[in-house]
Amino acid sequence: MTTTSLHLPSVATRRVRQWALQVLRLPPAYAATLVLLLLAAWLRPQLLSMPLLLLILRQAAPLGLAVMGQSLVMRARSIDLSVGGVVVAVSYILTSGFLSMPTGMAIFACVLLGVVVGTVNGLLIVRARASSMIVTLAMAMILTGIVIALSQQRAPGQAPELLRELALLRLAGIPLPVLGWLAALVPVALWLRYSVYGRYLDAVGTNPKAAALSGIPYLRVIFLAHVSSALISVGCGFILVGFVGVGSTTLGQELALNSLAAAILGGVNFGNGKGGMAGPAVAAFMLTFLFNFLTSLGLGEPGRLMLQGAIIAVAALAYSLGKRQNS
Amino acid sequence: MKSTRSGVTPYTIGLPILLFSVLAVAVPNFLDVQNLTNISAQITALLIVTLGQMVVALVAGIDLSVGAVVSLAACIVATQPNPLVGILLALALGLSVGLVNGLGVALAGIHPLVMTLSSMTFLQGVAYLVLPIPGGKVAPILGEMANGSLWGLPHPLLWCALCAVLVALLLHRSRLGLHIFAVGANPHSANLNGVRAWGVVVAAYVVCSLLAVVAGIYLAARVSSGDPTMGASFSLESLTAVALGGVQLTGGIGSIFGVVTGALSLGLITNGINLFGLSPFLRGTVTGALLLTAVCLQRRKAVGL
Repeated sequence: MTTTSLHLPSVATRRVRQWALQVLRLPPAYAATLVLLLLAAWLRPQLLSMPLLLLILRQAAPLGLAVMGQSLVMRARSIDLSVGGVVVAVSYILTSGFLSMPTGMAIFACVLLGVVVGTVNGLLIVRARASSMIVTLAMAMILTGIVIALSQQRAPGQAPELLRELALLRLAGIPLPVLGWLAALVPVALWLRYSVYGRYLDAVGTNPKAAALSGIPYLRVIFLAHVSSALISVGCGFILVGFVGVGSTTLGQELALNSLAAAILGGVNFGNGKGGMAGPAVAAFMLTFLFNFLTSLGLGEPGRLMLQGAIIAVAALAYSLGKRQNS
Repeated sequence: MKSTRSGVTPYTIGLPILLFSVLAVAVPNFLDVQNLTNISAQITALLIVTLGQMVVALVAGIDLSVGAVVSLAACIVATQPNPLVGILLALALGLSVGLVNGLGVALAGIHPLVMTLSSMTFLQGVAYLVLPIPGGKVAPILGEMANGSLWGLPHPLLWCALCAVLVALLLHRSRLGLHIFAVGANPHSANLNGVRAWGVVVAAYVVCSLLAVVAGIYLAARVSSGDPTMGASFSLESLTAVALGGVQLTGGIGSIFGVVTGALSLGLITNGINLFGLSPFLRGTVTGALLLTAVCLQRRKAVGL
């Protein structure tokens, strides 16, 4: 790609060029966040005040968690569309009083549900070799269907006191859900970078056949990614139920597709072994900020949806064109 | 298991037959002409959308925007006083959506999920702009085209047959069809053999969007009004039908016969739940469980997507 010139570029220009390439290689989420923040500073400066930014961060926490699970499975060339179903099921268990039990038991039941859903997803994908898109989609349909049918008899009600209070709690001015998000993000990122599992995951994603031939337990790696993703979805459910305060059968329905968009805008792609955890987290913030920004512009539903679609497309376009230029 | 290009297995054929026999035995008025006409009218739109989804799946793509295209096409037809203008506008919409999706996926290299997810969001916005609340009016002649019958055959069946035959001609009697299978099976080899892979992918997305437009026109004509959320469920339902019909999302494997069995199975499930008097809310659960069973019985080589 470099143009041949008669005089050699100086060290400084080379360094600048290298730096520019580095920036170009960054996932689109970073540039998009910057552009959005600048636009907001120009059009809606009040959005950039600290309290509002913290609220937006808090709102981004569920998506931020969901995108962690999504990028785990995506790195292993799989996909998880069951987030919405798990969140709805968690909200029903916690709020309907269908299984009358203390909050602690209900939370435990939710975690158990996450393990079961993740195990079933993983087993069907790994053992029955079913398409992960279909398996997790069907899982979401089954869970949502059961919850909607059950809520005809017993509507979802108030969220447990404990979760509502936790969602509102602030430590040193920072909302607890944001801290929970960071507390999950940092160890997972470190774990993926430095643990054997992280290396395996990258190897499986880059080339499953080569990974299998090298003796990596690649089926187990994919299976574990799905179980983790389902457990993370349960975490999303806790935070969302805490926010909203009441259960609902439509809670978190947009999480599956939004987390997919956030993962890809954050630089994770289906199995090229690339992409960390920071990019997707920034993308989760970017999308949530975008939704808030568009709402604050008072565009109404049509304009909001159109801009949202266009912005995601432009970010993805810029990224894939930039990537092509580098390779 | 023997791998075939059609993807049709005993299970894909067996499922609708099983559902049909169970319903015929268990429900007394299932075999009434009226009920059978109802079923065919219910699955027509789904079948047409699913045919398009299959063409995209054959080139290893996926189109989530079909639902929004269905809604928008229905809204356009319901707001245009002249039916011909409405249909032409809707077809132009399908052409441009397909071109944008196809070019984004094939030339720019955007992942099909993200590309079609963003066009879905955009088009949903346009649909709200065209027709904010359900309503509008559809020319009576269109209504007659969707609801009438010809020589005792209900019109919806004719719409299905026409679309299926057109797609069959495209896939099995045209050069493009051969290229679609070639690109889906192995884009690299197809390219080395002189097939312009990106053109084939763009064509597949255009065909898919055009079929979604046809389904939207049919739906608007059938209920003689439009609704900006009319087609929202079709994106995932067409994926379900495609999977039930043995079409592989990894590309190169699928058939029209499979799609018909898949759409028929979904239609029979809905009808059966109605006739059995089960809670309609359980439909998702039943469909999901059947889908899981169906995909588990069709073991593939690849793990993952």
